[in-house]
Amino acid sequence: MKRGLIAWDREALPPAVFDARLAKVRAALAERDLPAVVVYSDVARSNDARFLTNFMPYWNRSLVVIPREGAPVLLCGLSPRVYPWIRSVTVFEEIRPASKLAPSLVEFCEERGWKRLGVLDLPKMPNEVESRLRGLGVIDVSSQGLLEPDEAELAMRARAEKLTRSILEGQTNLGASILDYEFVGRLEREYRRSGAEDVVIRLSSNGKTPRPANGSILTDEYSVVVDLEYLGHWVRVTKAQGAHPGTPGSGDAL
Amino acid sequence: MVGINEHRRKQLMELMEERKWDSILLYGQGWRKDYFRALVNVNYMGPYAAAWLSRSGELRVFVTDPWDREWMAEFVGTQATLVYDFEGNLPGAPAVAGLELMEARLVDPGAVSATAEIEELRRVKTPEEIETLRRACDLADRGYEYFADVIEPGMREFELVAEVEGFLKSNGAEDNFMLIASGGTEVVGMKPPTERKLEKGDAVTTELTPQVDGYYAQICRTVVLGEPSRGQRESFAIFSEAQQAAEDLIKPGVKASDAARAQNDVFRKYGYGEYTGPKYTRVRGHCLGLFPDETPHILEDVDYTLKQDMVVIAHPNTYLPLAGYMVHGDCLLLTADGNQRMNHTEKKLFVKEV
Repeated sequence: MKRGLIAWDREALPPAVFDARLAKVRAALAERDLPAVVVYSDVARSNDARFLTNFMPYWNRSLVVIPREGAPVLLCGLSPRVYPWIRSVTVFEEIRPASKLAPSLVEFCEERGWKRLGVLDLPKMPNEVESRLRGLGVIDVSSQGLLEPDEAELAMRARAEKLTRSILEGQTNLGASILDYEFVGRLEREYRRSGAEDVVIRLSSNGKTPRPANGSILTDEYSVVVDLEYLGHWVRVTKAQGAHPGTPGSGDAL
Repeated sequence: MVGINEHRRKQLMELMEERKWDSILLYGQGWRKDYFRALVNVNYMGPYAAAWLSRSGELRVFVTDPWDREWMAEFVGTQATLVYDFEGNLPGAPAVAGLELMEARLVDPGAVSATAEIEELRRVKTPEEIETLRRACDLADRGYEYFADVIEPGMREFELVAEVEGFLKSNGAEDNFMLIASGGTEVVGMKPPTERKLEKGDAVTTELTPQVDGYYAQICRTVVLGEPSRGQRESFAIFSEAQQAAEDLIKPGVKASDAARAQNDVFRKYGYGEYTGPKYTRVRGHCLGLFPDETPHILEDVDYTLKQDMVVIAHPNTYLPLAGYMVHGDCLLLTADGNQRMNHTEKKLFVKEV
């Protein structure tokens, strides 16, 4: 889960980066004559919202509303007590409580006088929210072309990949003959101390596909698959130890 | 108790008989794997998984990551089906647990939700589930002991979390939900760790929630770096009394609302009633199981009667002007005539000598 460091590196991702990304979305809205687009976000699906606003919720669900004109607004499932912190790590100035997402969005649209609304990748919206928006005149806005990685995004992913790889290089050979839990714990500690927000580690040995640690002793030959989120940017890196042939079906970040 | 929960399979078959449902689909996604794991307790890694169960007991498992397929087969006994979505892959029109969270594109227009029914079944734990939760509580206790041991001034919040995460994973935790806060009266709630450096005099709060074989247990404690101030001690005494009031009350037949009121009344008694509302706090506790924040929540407006073999945490966590946000809570197993505390960590304001 996202329980590591959540921060905004303003040197690597200056506000102008988000301005440019949001401008691209606004241009798409103008093309479609839509007043706004909504982006869904939860703890396991935060990449789209993060790309546009640097918002990556550690818990709960939220909607990012991007008007064609004006600043983005967060309809937030989290407590108002954490809004100052959210403001400190995202582009949001306006955050509204939204324990129930759909009614909050309907109310917001009424307030703004919007009769139509775009929803980024509407078919992927949770049923509970999508079903309550049907009467609102919602239109699917495909994310294709709107969330293309820019230079800043690629640079951040490269940073994440470098961090992941450097720790893996130093630790992978330390797993032989120890409990897989112990090995995963060491990696987790190193990654999170280095600022990882989330880490998922899987191990492959004895010809089996990668899976989470399960209390087995690692042999001399195994491979490690690390999915790591660093400042909101996910990468996957794999490494084989000993004569292990590597992880079938996996690939490194390129 | 990793694998198929046979007790649950039987419960689900009885439920289908009662509701005249032909089949049930237990749908899990990245955030909420619990509906799926209620029957097939395997930690899938793909974005979705679903278990389809017919009224006669036939089970089919669907996964969306090829790596899950092989692994799942070891626990399920038959090969899971790899799918991109469920369209055309599901026999009939099942009632769906987790329907509300399902991506709209996957939902059959006539689908019926089984979410509430499955959540109610899950609230009462089987002996095997209770045993797993005991192991999770034990790990929570050891995790907190480690937390209180390694913490020191100068450490950044996220570095402390890294240490604890490493400890929990090394000791078999599958996952962990953890929030933290540090400082004084300016602290109004917990959140993910920041780069803030811990200082002498800080109250450091944490909600530690390790997951063992799918099941989450929780412990909430507060530690002060150095000698606690008068305000910190005074504040903790109120939290301690409030938590104890809930622990003394909770048993089968007691309403969730009364368990909340018992805690809030302690704050009211000391003139801090306004700090028991949503402006300063969220809930006075909740259930635990395959999701770390299971319902019913312990709140004064929740009309739910607690039952034997439920596992709840009573935690009067809130902000008080005396010392800022503070937390204190333990998991409680509801027994036939009372409750049993499942955590064994000392109930005190922890003090780290610095």
